[in-house]
Amino acid sequence: MAVQERRRVLVRRYSLFERIIHWVVAVTFVYLMLSGLALFWPPFFWLAQVLGGPTLVRMMHPIVGIAFIVALLVMLAMWAKDMVLDRLDIAWLKAAPKYATGQEEGVPESGRFNAGQKLLFYLQIIAGVLLLLSGVILWFPMQFSAGLRQASFIVHDLFAIIAIGALILHVYMGLFYIRGSLQGMVEGVVSRAWARAHHGRWYRQVEGTSAIITEEAHD
Amino acid sequence: MAFEPTAIKAVSASVTPAPGVKKLPEVVKLIDVSSCIGCKACEVACQEWNDLPANVNRPFFGSYQTLPDLDWNFWQLIKFNEVQRDGRFIWTLTKYQCMHCGDPGCLRACPAPGAIVQYANGIVDFVQENCIGCGFCITGCPFDVPRLSPSTGKVYKCTLCSDRVGAGLEPACVKACPTKCLSFGAKDQMLAQANYRVEQLRAIGYDKAAVYNPSGVGGTHAVYVLPYGDSPEIYGLPKNPTVSFVDVWKGGLRWLGNLVIFGGILGAILHYLRFGPRRVPSEEPVSGDNG
Repeated sequence: MAVQERRRVLVRRYSLFERIIHWVVAVTFVYLMLSGLALFWPPFFWLAQVLGGPTLVRMMHPIVGIAFIVALLVMLAMWAKDMVLDRLDIAWLKAAPKYATGQEEGVPESGRFNAGQKLLFYLQIIAGVLLLLSGVILWFPMQFSAGLRQASFIVHDLFAIIAIGALILHVYMGLFYIRGSLQGMVEGVVSRAWARAHHGRWYRQVEGTSAIITEEAHD
Repeated sequence: MAFEPTAIKAVSASVTPAPGVKKLPEVVKLIDVSSCIGCKACEVACQEWNDLPANVNRPFFGSYQTLPDLDWNFWQLIKFNEVQRDGRFIWTLTKYQCMHCGDPGCLRACPAPGAIVQYANGIVDFVQENCIGCGFCITGCPFDVPRLSPSTGKVYKCTLCSDRVGAGLEPACVKACPTKCLSFGAKDQMLAQANYRVEQLRAIGYDKAAVYNPSGVGGTHAVYVLPYGDSPEIYGLPKNPTVSFVDVWKGGLRWLGNLVIFGGILGAILHYLRFGPRRVPSEEPVSGDNG
């Protein structure tokens, strides 16, 4: 049997720096989520044991939180330009139910990020900032008034819940539903077909630039 | 822990029932503010019995009060409140410490299993070996009592001398009190004594005298007789302490969290089963030897 040879066209989607920042945000978020859940609801308390014991978790949660927020702000700076909502994004949002149910027709082409990704991004930024502000108050409970602490608990828990809900959606989309996405965030490249199908406007922008990589593939 | 597990009525952050089966009589420390002379013998007895080194090197802050506030190593304090009432100055000398609530906000706020326990006799105790130092109890407490030690990272408060009570003794503060401002005993007995004292105070002109045993926290096991019972805030006591914030925090928010987390995961699974993964078909024309 002859060896099948074909050309594979890839599109560079995320730089190494972007991927590192993304995974720093991801890993710190997961730690914060697991350690936070341990302190949020007793049935999750065993997570604190897994993470090195509850006293350590209580010490580390705010410190990892600082690392998370720093990485998140770098992410905001590096993606702010690509995350601006435009007119076509509004049309995309109107067609979002179609997108979510796998229909192709009537869904406007997206730029580098689609409107759903953009909203998710803003949601996480807002949640991150509110979690930071309330978290600092809860970090040093003896330094702040009872009213401020009570408000902080509500804000911290509420926005943690929102952020975790958004994470579930993000992981589901990136890992399970939209196949081929994970490769972009791990290897930095996606297939040309993927780029055209999911981010058509972005593909046309990078078409003909050095972002397009053609390689010989052996199957 | 000063009592055996069979006396534990409630445990913090426990998903299973508390092990308590014993029926102990509920105890109350009665504080008759009208007969406090501000001698601070109770403060000294507390420090001495509990071997607590108080930080006495704080600057003078213009009061007879020993320290401005409770601290991790200072579990009870006579507050020398200077207030105006009916156009005259009064000094409401008020012993302040943990109230040992019937429905303790600290215990419900605590995320560490077994770090806060409530005994069948009503005493609420902190178990420092299980404490993780998060300070949630400080926010859960409607009386602002628990204090976090910066050196150990644990919280501390009045134990109602649970070790002494467990051995059949009264709390150290009660033993030291020279005016019988403090009494300790079975709850119904103490409440009867409190009501009797209120009647006495009313008879001599304190027509607003009342017992302070707030129902918003399920009653307390430190009960006051207040000569001006209509305004507990002049004694530094909250008028209507409640644990309603803890209800929202540990009730509503928890269920919202469960709904989002488990609902989200379930929703994702159902979506996947119905709409499957979205794969982009490979568009590349196959070139070269096609076999």
